Amino acid sequence: MKKIKFLLGISVLVLVVYITSFGVMAADKPPVVIGLQGPITGPYAIEGEMAKQCVETAAALINEKGGILGGRMIEIMVVDDAMKPKESALAAIKLISKAVPAVIQTYGSSITKPASDIYERYKKVNIAYGATDTVLTEEGLEYFLRTCGRTDTQGNFFAEYVVNVFGAKRIAIMHDNQSFSVGLAKNTKKALQPKIDAGEVEIVYYDAITPGESDFTVPLTKLRETNPDIFYFTGYFPEAGLIIRQARNIGITCPFVGGDAALNDEFIKIAGLEMAKGCLMTQEALLKDIRYPEAVEFKEAYNAKYGYIPSSPWAVYAADALNVIAYAIDQTGSTDSDVLVDYLKNKLENFPGITGSISFDEKGDRIGTGISLYVVTDEGGFEIYNP
Amino acid sequence: MRVFLEQLLNGLTIGSFYALIALGYSMVYGVMKLINFAHGDLFALGSYLGFTILVLGTAYITSYLGLWGGMIAAMLIAAICLAVVGTLVERIAYRPIYPSGRLPAVVSALGVSIFLQNAIMVVWGPRPQAYIASVVPSAYIKMGEIRITLLQIIILVLSFLLMGILYYIIQKTTFGAAIRASALDRDTAALMGININTIIFFIFALGPALGGTAGVMVGMYYRKISFVMGWNYGLKAFTATILGGIGNIPGAMIGGLLLGILEMLGSVYISTAYKDVFVFIVLILVLIFRPRGLLGEKIAEKV
Amino acid sequence: MKENTNLKHKNIFIKNWSIIILIILLLLFPLTGNNYFIDVAFFFGIYALLGLSLNVVLGEVGLFDLGHMAFMAIGAYTTAILNTNFGIPIIILLPISALAAAGFAWLVCSPIIDLRGDYLCIVTIGMGEIVRLTLINNPFGITGGPNGVFGIDFPSLGSFFMIDSSTEFYFLIWIVVGLTILALINLQHSRIGRAWNCIREDEIAAEATGIDVRRYKLLAFILGAGLAGVAGNIYASKLMIVSPESFDFMESCMLFCIVLIGGMGSIPGVLVGAAAISLFPEVFRAFAQYRMLIFGSAMVIMMIFRPGGIWPRKRGAVEFKSLLLKAGRDDV
Repeated sequence: MKKIKFLLGISVLVLVVYITSFGVMAADKPPVVIGLQGPITGPYAIEGEMAKQCVETAAALINEKGGILGGRMIEIMVVDDAMKPKESALAAIKLISKAVPAVIQTYGSSITKPASDIYERYKKVNIAYGATDTVLTEEGLEYFLRTCGRTDTQGNFFAEYVVNVFGAKRIAIMHDNQSFSVGLAKNTKKALQPKIDAGEVEIVYYDAITPGESDFTVPLTKLRETNPDIFYFTGYFPEAGLIIRQARNIGITCPFVGGDAALNDEFIKIAGLEMAKGCLMTQEALLKDIRYPEAVEFKEAYNAKYGYIPSSPWAVYAADALNVIAYAIDQTGSTDSDVLVDYLKNKLENFPGITGSISFDEKGDRIGTGISLYVVTDEGGFEIYNP
Repeated sequence: MRVFLEQLLNGLTIGSFYALIALGYSMVYGVMKLINFAHGDLFALGSYLGFTILVLGTAYITSYLGLWGGMIAAMLIAAICLAVVGTLVERIAYRPIYPSGRLPAVVSALGVSIFLQNAIMVVWGPRPQAYIASVVPSAYIKMGEIRITLLQIIILVLSFLLMGILYYIIQKTTFGAAIRASALDRDTAALMGININTIIFFIFALGPALGGTAGVMVGMYYRKISFVMGWNYGLKAFTATILGGIGNIPGAMIGGLLLGILEMLGSVYISTAYKDVFVFIVLILVLIFRPRGLLGEKIAEKV
Repeated sequence: MKENTNLKHKNIFIKNWSIIILIILLLLFPLTGNNYFIDVAFFFGIYALLGLSLNVVLGEVGLFDLGHMAFMAIGAYTTAILNTNFGIPIIILLPISALAAAGFAWLVCSPIIDLRGDYLCIVTIGMGEIVRLTLINNPFGITGGPNGVFGIDFPSLGSFFMIDSSTEFYFLIWIVVGLTILALINLQHSRIGRAWNCIREDEIAAEATGIDVRRYKLLAFILGAGLAGVAGNIYASKLMIVSPESFDFMESCMLFCIVLIGGMGSIPGVLVGAAAISLFPEVFRAFAQYRMLIFGSAMVIMMIFRPGGIWPRKRGAVEFKSLLLKAGRDDV
């Protein structure tokens, strides 16, 4: 009798699942739902949270002006990928199964890659906001675009400008084996090659640390022994904060430059202001320094809701991704991915985004992004470096 | 030479963290034959409690007691809280399961581990937290070319002090003999008149307390703490326990220190990336060729 | 006498019909057309297969294996690397991955198979970690480090048969699970299965009655690893990427819990356990942060109140009861 009751219980459960899955399918949604993938939990939650808030702010601005496709409101469906490749694939699978017309995805090139593979396979237009590895657009993906820049631009900037500013001859480059970091390191090395061949500079250290660790004294000791004039770290901010502290503690005194994923408020918090001030980074323009009318409007709206303006440039690229995709849907009157991709790559020109004018090339890259050199001020802010 | 000495010092510091955590594992396993998977997360909890006390209450503590006083106060408070939590965990999650055998105990311990880890995440947020600079002493001295922070010295001194006290209790007092007896054979010990409940209370209070102290120290040393740190340290500390001989208290201390040094030297001379692999291979070799660890006793299997 | 034969027949009748109904429900499920739920059911299937593979080791033989995901990792990475570098079709890689995982188990478990219960547990944890850490460090540049190996194809036979939709993956995994269940039930009733259970109950007595304990334990590991390797292959082609964090200690713990919470050695129990583990996050999605708190406490509560598992294995208990009734005892 007990067993029969038990079996009955299980069958009821199964039936409930059955019926609800039918039911969910039947409802039709008037709003246009755009997917957003990001690291909402985990060590990179600060990026994911800001991206979510930026995209929602941008959507609210559009909705206030009347929405798209004749009055349909934009809704954002956020899926967490915790900055892990497997979670990213799962997030992509989930968003595809929910049949959203487009996806804005994610922070971290190594996390973007598996998602973009899945979106490509299922033919879903996806725009990246925090993935600058050159490899992503070199493999002929049709449905992938990005509103952020590429690491070769950054590598060139380091080689041309930063090295000159500090008159550095002995260069130490440290990465963390993840796609973006490796890509930036490689591109920097490539950009430095002409100077290396001319005998002007020398790369004295080129190695990796393991992300997720907390003790880097061993590789840092090796770096110290090579006596560099400048230390370029191309990894991410959780490690960067610890690295600068440990580096200074064991006696590395040369200028510390981070790539565009290495320095932010979390970095300053982890490293402590004492160690963080004076550190530099090669970075796309921060929102506070952008003056376009769209940027001003966005800053006001975001500040009104949250009390500060976003410090991450990537979150702002996410907002721009939303602006651009909403515009494309509105202009083409369609939510079909092929139509949207064709429009974005071939017909969109000089769309006024928060971060400037947006157009995409055939590969899906954004045309015309720039890099600056920022320094951490004594108060813990970021300013453009004046040598 | 400089590198070797620096890394030796590092290894000792990390080793003392492992040792303090390993003591908790060893005591519990020795007496209860239970691998307390939640122990690592108790250590993490200690770290977070220290964070709360120091960083969030920073004005009060450090203004009254100074940096060092603040650290000691944080460790004491963390230790006491962890002792309470540890005994609660035992009472709620483990005691009802003893009659059901070993496997349900493992699942229960895993459940507690998941619960604690996520409780930390819920209370303190999913982002890693930092022991900010103003609560961490940064003074250092130089011996030759080697830079040793005062913090490192204090940590080493404190750890050895705690281990020394525990060693004394276990080896030289009657109560310690009672603990050792219970570890050897719980039922006979009970028959001999030893109050097992007191023993259990002691190990589940002291083990986590030591772990909590280690947590505060780790927080000050590395400055960055996250809610997943319990798992990593827990596993290494457990390896240290095995290395020293499970159930053997001095063994846990030696195992911990040895593990720290092995890990550091392995990372310098073999490979930084594979240092954890190296540690685990050592563990497996020890288990295959000398399962009782360095100091453990041979235990015959009863038929 | 007559009543208890009727009772037995009635039990078998209910059992058979409920199995048939479940199979029909399983077949009809994709008709809902809701890809999201079909994907969830797919992952339920993966966990079911993994649970069954661990059940062979943990449930039947009683070996504490807390590093089981390492075998799945070997299978998944074998599939990933051979497919992306040499273009070998996924379907052909399925048996190859199973063999790779099984071979790995044979190699690695031979030296440690004699270890006692708890020590085996620790060694398997260590083994799982070694595999994961090695994968992260990208030896010989083939595993892609923390980024993993991406760009894995879908299973296909030429260009006319391709598994690329949620529904097709769903059927793939559940057909594999079904076949596995049939094979395992047969094993349970065979000499091997009985030897396994004997070893679990009392290893020394088993040895004393002439069972080659070492060989049977190793066999269990090899079989369990092979099945996990199959799961790895299918998982890899669904996700199009394999990365080290899919195979960490927490996942191995989940598998352990599936077998234990479901009921050791019990095949329906494993299915229930797999359902609990994979559907739990979905059901409790609304609670977001508190989800895992509830999960952890649920594990503890389960062990307090039902340490045998949700659906424990009743070995011969029913037959014994009817024997007693036949002999005239009416108090059982």
